[in-house]
Amino acid sequence: MFDFLIHGFDVALTPLNLGLAFLGALLGTLFGALPGIGPINGIAILMPLAYTLGLPAESALILLAGVYTGAEYGGRMSSILLNVPGDAGAVMSTLDGHPLAKKGLAGPALGLSAVSSFVGATIAIIGLTLFAPLLARVAVMFGPAEFFALMVFAFSSMAVMMGKDPVKTGIGAVLGVMIAMIGVDSGTGVMRYTFGLAELYDGIDFVVMIIGLFAISEILLMLEHANRQDAGDAMPPVGRVMVSLKEVLYCKWAMLRSGVIGFIVGVLPGTGASVAGAVSYTTEKRLSDKENTFGTGDMRGLAAPEAGNNASAAGSFVPMLTLGIPGSGTTAVLLGALMLYNITPGPMLFSERPEVAGGLIASLYIGNIMLLALNLPLAGFFAKVLTIPRWVLVPAIAILAFVGVYQLHSDLMAIYLMLVIGIFGYLLRKLGFSLAPVILGYVLGGLMEDNLRRALSISGGDMGILWQSGISIGLWIAAVLLLVLPWLLPRLLPGKSPARA
Amino acid sequence: MRIAADRILGIALIGLAAFAAFKATQFQVTFSYEPVGPKAFPILLSVVLAALSLVLVFRPGEDGAWPDKRVALKLAAVLVVLLVYALLFTRLGFLVTTFFAVLSLARLFGAGWPKALLAGVLMALGSNYLFTLGLGISLPGGHWLPDFN
Amino acid sequence: MKFNSAFLRWSAPLVMGAALMTGTAHAQADGTECIAPAKPGGGYDLTCRLAANGLQETGLIDKPMMVTYMPGGIGAVAYNHVNGVRNDDPNLIVAASTGAAVNLALGKFGQYDASEVRWLGALGVDYGAIVVKADAPWQTLDDLMQDLKKRPGGIVFGAGGTVGSQDWMKAALTAKAAGISPRKLRYVAFEGGGESLAALLGDHIQVFTGDLSELRPHLESGKVRVLAALAEERVGGPYADIPTAAEQGYDVEWPIWRGYYMGPDVSDKAYNAWEDRLEKLADNEQFAKMREARGLFPMARFGDDFDGYVKKQVAQFKQLAKEVGLSQ
Repeated sequence: MFDFLIHGFDVALTPLNLGLAFLGALLGTLFGALPGIGPINGIAILMPLAYTLGLPAESALILLAGVYTGAEYGGRMSSILLNVPGDAGAVMSTLDGHPLAKKGLAGPALGLSAVSSFVGATIAIIGLTLFAPLLARVAVMFGPAEFFALMVFAFSSMAVMMGKDPVKTGIGAVLGVMIAMIGVDSGTGVMRYTFGLAELYDGIDFVVMIIGLFAISEILLMLEHANRQDAGDAMPPVGRVMVSLKEVLYCKWAMLRSGVIGFIVGVLPGTGASVAGAVSYTTEKRLSDKENTFGTGDMRGLAAPEAGNNASAAGSFVPMLTLGIPGSGTTAVLLGALMLYNITPGPMLFSERPEVAGGLIASLYIGNIMLLALNLPLAGFFAKVLTIPRWVLVPAIAILAFVGVYQLHSDLMAIYLMLVIGIFGYLLRKLGFSLAPVILGYVLGGLMEDNLRRALSISGGDMGILWQSGISIGLWIAAVLLLVLPWLLPRLLPGKSPARA
Repeated sequence: MRIAADRILGIALIGLAAFAAFKATQFQVTFSYEPVGPKAFPILLSVVLAALSLVLVFRPGEDGAWPDKRVALKLAAVLVVLLVYALLFTRLGFLVTTFFAVLSLARLFGAGWPKALLAGVLMALGSNYLFTLGLGISLPGGHWLPDFN
Repeated sequence: MKFNSAFLRWSAPLVMGAALMTGTAHAQADGTECIAPAKPGGGYDLTCRLAANGLQETGLIDKPMMVTYMPGGIGAVAYNHVNGVRNDDPNLIVAASTGAAVNLALGKFGQYDASEVRWLGALGVDYGAIVVKADAPWQTLDDLMQDLKKRPGGIVFGAGGTVGSQDWMKAALTAKAAGISPRKLRYVAFEGGGESLAALLGDHIQVFTGDLSELRPHLESGKVRVLAALAEERVGGPYADIPTAAEQGYDVEWPIWRGYYMGPDVSDKAYNAWEDRLEKLADNEQFAKMREARGLFPMARFGDDFDGYVKKQVAQFKQLAKEVGLSQ
């Protein structure tokens, strides 16, 4: 039954396709590393290129899939180095990644995140190879009621982040959900909080949101730090560059668990890398953060979301290849690329065009190894970003933020919005808020409302639909368990001593 | 001053909640198939926000360190630079606006004139080259030259 | 300068590899441009690419056409942009579809209405479809309609758009054809056709009002049954077996054209040149294959003919919106 894969490796190992996989990985890492320019744009930009080059379908897909997976790798770099997420999936990687860099561990953090990305992606690719058709059937069992239960689960796992200041965490999350309400209501078409501005009809875009909230506020904070009675320039010298085996092993459970979680979240249509990163981070914190070190530069807190978001990237290929239904925004664009080649993904793809399905999956294996090989040695090189003086770094961040938002919207209003959100983010941070709950509220809140309302319009108002299926019952139980587990778990998984440099 | 920040925030947020809830009641639904509707969530959120903010008003947390006047002026200057950058971004084009934005930001972040000028020229040209040639992203060319269409 | 040089060092191989090989996609001032008023990957993206790839492969333009994304306001941002900023750009076309006409009719584009731009032409058309799962009890549209009359609230419809969107219109018109008020329907709005289809396959909804082109892969797999195509007459190719709603006795048609408009102050010369270009393209055999690959059917309306067609359609939709109780 794995003929398609053997055939696929034949396809993927030709010099042209190997070269394209490498080019895709390299470009993807770069696209991901630049804040604002994520996998979707990377693919949208390269798609016409591949087409005009006259590449055969499988080669084009190999190039574009390389960009996609590469971008998930690259997204973490600016998360760790600048506290600015490189793309949607990398928001949670700022939480422990940036504190690590502040401790002078930027190199190991980058290395560790490359390894975690590799582990997460590998788990997901194996899952894709083995279970794709089966999972496709499970994925469609997720209806609105099940998604709603999943969001309740995600929010309850978020409760762990209440740590220091529960009131402000709560307010942050609520504000995030409220921002998600802006725009045309997806159920009734009513305009909510748009104030007559057409630019707000579609809501506030994710990229505008994270660039404003993180990048612009970071610039303002950097200015303050620069003017404080010289705090020794905040960043310690970049010390050790390579991640040690001990550190990797310390995070092994975090990576494995998050890889599985990320893969499952990726398989579900409608949830992508941002949800995967969030759920794997909060789950990992819930499960293994005994000493309350998450958020202060715990390696596991970086390994978890990185494994999770890369796994979800590979996972989202499952519904795309088997059902012809995109599992994420990015696979929606890939699907468009396939249509350009007159290929219609779906159950017939594996039998009718094995060179495409097999070639793609094989190239995911190869690309993933390439990405690890590419990213590990570069960790030390990129860690040097931290030694760049602020007067170079800040303009660079500003340029990236502007270009990132502008090329997405071709519209100045989006840039103004980004600046407003930036000021808002700065104030929040000054007032002791963490930005993660705001982003999580924003991502999960909209999904939660939409799916609750969809579920209730299916049932005609009967709440029973919310716990009708086995899947939703399971999720409700898991949500409750998440709140109880801390008392149960210490007996099941004895924690190991933290590896610190 | 110490306790004020959180209290002011709390009151402002209660105001926001009230505003959001009021706006929500104004939503005009021509018709809808669902029992929940577009108003329920925003109103619910407003109530939660107001309740949490009330806690903030009565039990404010510690105040952060706020910038003094000099730094605040600089912050405002950075924002003005960014705003002007945005205002002129399409009109004057990427190269020119980026040069000036980098120049002024570099100055604000402590670079001397020679360094700032060098940064402006190199970064404007470098990023232009990187984005257009390297990544195939189109940047605004500006409308200040006479029409060459 | 390390930050910058780091990226430059990175970009060096890319510049040589990717950019030089192809002449790149970034446009020069004299190049043509198509605005897709949405994020990458959607129908508008495909509409722009249809023109971009078609015109280039048939040699009707020398330089690659640039595709710009301008999401926001279900197309309103691009519409305002073309009206306000680039109102006379002779090299710019903007993708549009029936969905845009619906939004114009409902007044969702703010101060502007359909007569504010110059409608250029359509290169293809898709048709609405009434889809159920392969194991659903209804074999024909009539089965479904009879059942629907008996229990209007008992069958759940779903599609990828809100109440008032063109996806919803298909469901509303179908109900109306059966003599049922669209208000009595049970309708669920999803985020795009893909999610709705997944909900259909997962038995969460019973009827999906989608488009023919997005269904093709699923026809072959035998997982869904298309009860009716909302076309004037039977469409050919892989859809030849699908009856129209009209031949089953229900007067519902829903063509989804994919076309373009230009700024209001574009010169007649530029407008006519584009019209000519698109007409030539539509006659080209190579292009016919590309159009078919996108699942689109031929539609040849250009220039004034198309302009009149769109304006008439918008007027019809306004009437329709009143009838189904969407607007006062």
